[in-house]
Amino acid sequence: MPEDFNNRVRVRLYQLFIELGRCPSMAEVASALRCGVSDVAASFQELAAAHMLVLQAGSGEVLMANPLSTVPTPFVVETRAKDGSQSWYGNCIWDALGVFAMLQRDGRVLTSCGCCGESMTVSVRGSAVEANPPSVVHFAIPARRWWDDIVFN
Amino acid sequence: MLIFRSEEHIDKWCKAWRLPHGATLSVEQAWKLADAWYRDRMSPDWRRRTVDEAHELFRSLGLTSEFWRLA
Repeated sequence: MPEDFNNRVRVRLYQLFIELGRCPSMAEVASALRCGVSDVAASFQELAAAHMLVLQAGSGEVLMANPLSTVPTPFVVETRAKDGSQSWYGNCIWDALGVFAMLQRDGRVLTSCGCCGESMTVSVRGSAVEANPPSVVHFAIPARRWWDDIVFN
Repeated sequence: MLIFRSEEHIDKWCKAWRLPHGATLSVEQAWKLADAWYRDRMSPDWRRRTVDEAHELFRSLGLTSEFWRLA
């Protein structure tokens, strides 16, 4: 697919994700762009090959539009906006924090210790971040191997 | 990328998963990295960073060890 079309698909996918509060299907993206579902399906495949999306293995629908996850994860992101609050799932703690950056909103991540499961909250307000209880973030996989198994990572 | 109560909890998790200890960031560092990495993701002008651009971003945040090398 032309690069420009892939970019339109990518941007509309993210816009719909925010508007709907959930990941749109490829049919919904196609309807919004007034194009064929097969065109969006092909575009999704190319965006995934370029590491811009992660797709579900069977259906080819979106699994990850980083930093957002289509499926529930242990990283619940609550964002505050003028018209209320919304919640999302981040793919990991890095992505969960990335939701605030991408949406330019404050809020908090409800999560837990990867080891013992203790409940944790990470709050973002402007440029300030605070974890309660105090905590640290661990990147297990070296950067050059992140895409070897992006779901585990 | 997970969040842990402490370095001790990271070590216990690494042992359970039989993985070497990776890189530990403070929550403040992780937030700065997330902000720099994702703030423009919805822009129509966003393009995937080149390896050099990603290395420069990591460097600007003090992430200069071999762990952060993409190639």
